[in-house]
Amino acid sequence: MPHTQQSSREGALFSMANVMLLIVLLLYCDGMNTETTSSPESDPVITTKKAVSKGQSQVIIEELTILTPQNIELLCNLTDLPNNPLYITGYWTKDGQEIQNSEETVNRNNEQYILKRTFRIETRDLGNYSCVFRENEAQVTFVLDVPVMKDKRDKPVVSYIGDSVVLECKLKHTPNTWNWYKANNTEKVFINVTANPLNYKILNNGTKTKLTVLNLTEEDSGKYICSAEFDIKPSVSYVQLKVMSYTEPLKPFIAIVVEVVVLVTLILLWEKCNKPQQNNSSESDVYSEQTRKLTHDESNGSENNTARQRKVER
Amino acid sequence: MEKPQERPETQQSSPQMAAPDGGWGWVVVGSLFVTSALVFGLIRSLGVFFVEFVQYFDESAQAVSWITSIGLAMQQLMSPIAAAACNVYGARPVVMMGGFLSGLGFILASQAKSLLHLYMTMGFTSGLGWALVFTPTVASVMQYFTMRRSLAMGLGFTGVGLASFAFSPLFQYLVEVYAWRGALLLLGGLSFNMIACGALIRPLGNPKVVEKTENSTNLNRCSFLRSRIYECFELSLLSHRGFLTYAVAITFFNAGYFIPYVHLVAHSRNIDFTEYQAAFVISVTGVADIVGRVASGWASDLGKMRMPHMLVVWTGLLGLFLMLIPAAASYPGLLVVSLAYGFCAGAMTPLAFAVVPEIVGIERVLGALGLVQLIESVGGLLGAPLSGWLKDYTGTYTASFITAGSFIVLGMLVTMTLPYFWSCTAPLPPSPSNRKSQDCSIEDGLLKATSPDSVCETVPRGGYTA
Repeated sequence: MPHTQQSSREGALFSMANVMLLIVLLLYCDGMNTETTSSPESDPVITTKKAVSKGQSQVIIEELTILTPQNIELLCNLTDLPNNPLYITGYWTKDGQEIQNSEETVNRNNEQYILKRTFRIETRDLGNYSCVFRENEAQVTFVLDVPVMKDKRDKPVVSYIGDSVVLECKLKHTPNTWNWYKANNTEKVFINVTANPLNYKILNNGTKTKLTVLNLTEEDSGKYICSAEFDIKPSVSYVQLKVMSYTEPLKPFIAIVVEVVVLVTLILLWEKCNKPQQNNSSESDVYSEQTRKLTHDESNGSENNTARQRKVER
Repeated sequence: MEKPQERPETQQSSPQMAAPDGGWGWVVVGSLFVTSALVFGLIRSLGVFFVEFVQYFDESAQAVSWITSIGLAMQQLMSPIAAAACNVYGARPVVMMGGFLSGLGFILASQAKSLLHLYMTMGFTSGLGWALVFTPTVASVMQYFTMRRSLAMGLGFTGVGLASFAFSPLFQYLVEVYAWRGALLLLGGLSFNMIACGALIRPLGNPKVVEKTENSTNLNRCSFLRSRIYECFELSLLSHRGFLTYAVAITFFNAGYFIPYVHLVAHSRNIDFTEYQAAFVISVTGVADIVGRVASGWASDLGKMRMPHMLVVWTGLLGLFLMLIPAAASYPGLLVVSLAYGFCAGAMTPLAFAVVPEIVGIERVLGALGLVQLIESVGGLLGAPLSGWLKDYTGTYTASFITAGSFIVLGMLVTMTLPYFWSCTAPLPPSPSNRKSQDCSIEDGLLKATSPDSVCETVPRGGYTA
């Protein structure tokens, strides 16, 4: 009986080892599973973006806005190919460089050829992804990037010494937070409102941000950078500020005032020069009026003769 | 012995009778051109500043738009005062003072620290200046012309259109280079040019009221003051039915007229046109406006159709096109409707002024202009805020454009109730057969002395005799 006892003990040990091995294996496999799904959410979410290219040599560019790290499936659908081959080969490129091992054979499916691939997009993975087909010149490019701030002012914002100015940035999506920097030659200096409440005020309102710079001096001129912080990468834009003194607009202003004074003087002088002729004529009218009235009133006066004489003289 | 002062009185029996219809008159038209450019053209192009004010003072667009409202309201409310001052001192000094005040308002505005400062400077001061400039200049042009009055008015008013065309990009440039403070300072300097315009207005005769000073020494101070105010402000017009009808019509026109200029840019941006597309729409409207003014002035002087009839035609079309603006969804469609709207708006303006002497007679035109602007200011004060409220309430500008159009149509209907509207020939201004005796007042007694075509043959009440 010791033989059976020994073999049963061995058997128990063996099964225990098996169980332990199974457990270890399971744990290992579990770890592997979480690694391969690699998605922050509980369910693996894959966004699919499609683009359809018809015929040959059509170039399509699709812009995709990425806010957080995620999985994206890019799909290229080719239709209306001449000759309708049974299969074509296609591969993916990122920023012009072919992605290794991305070449696939695509079979014809109802007059369509679909090439798709899932990409994991992190900060360094943003860029231009294209699907390229060897037999075809058609190209579909997906541009993956954070939201870009358009409508930048190319002209600098202008203000005066001692005045205040408001610099604004806006975006279509709400970032986690906004940050402002001032560019000093090649480096960025973070603008800290709590450290400098007398000079700066920042108002963030979702998709908009406003930086108010108070008590301006000449040194405040320069480039201001607004940064919209997203999970994946910040989106930056800049505004140029120029501070000048009040003497700048004063010069053309004085020129205009001088011009007005000169004009008015000229006009009034010119009229005065033409006036003496009018004065002469009106005086003579007055004079004849006066003589007429005198003769009428003192018709039987002794001055009749003098009046008549005066009249004759004229 | 005769006193020398009486000579001018007996010599120039009617100062307004010498209407040269040319010669120096065209210089005065040029003065009106520059004046209307620097008053209304300037007001229309202030939109550029409002964007800056909203951002700088952190106020709503509605609060900022009150600046123009106050300025326009002051220009109209103070018009009777301008007319009265003109009756006493003559047009020239009043216009020069007005030019100075308008410039001063903008210069002070450049130092503004709050929106209230802007209300006081750009609103009140400049508004008062504009009043002192505009009414006397218009009246002077009317005095200088009889046969070609409408054409002279049309030509003079083209200044508004050309200015709003040229000023918008100019102001944009000034704001970009000098910021709004520097730009306002330069606008003040620009407004000073109206002083030179005032200097150009050579008086045609002595001011109306000066002549009467000799006759008043016998009466006591109180009634003297009252009658002075009465004649300075031309208050007899308030009992003139034609004038009152016209004033009500103009009030309705005013309520609807300015709304598109305030809202057209915003409306274009609202339906997603770019900044430059929106500005182009305004420019196109401006050009059509200019052409409309000259065309209408010239056409009206041809005499084929009576002036009130032409006014009704243009205002009817204007109301129609205004209501069509929100219906234009595409860019070419909006351009076409805006063009038509601009043309009709331009066509209406010289007629709206030139018809005044036909209704009240040239002697009272100054006071009439002053009073009518005072009365129409109610329309202006109501119109823009109402349309702004409608926009906030409904979210689009459709309701406000339709309201503006209906105001204009309402004014057109009131115009049709003018006395002598339905007759084919124009009546003689102050027509004898229809004037009732209550119209005869102190004013007419004074008129009798100055103009041969004064009507009242009854013995004037009050003590004034020529």
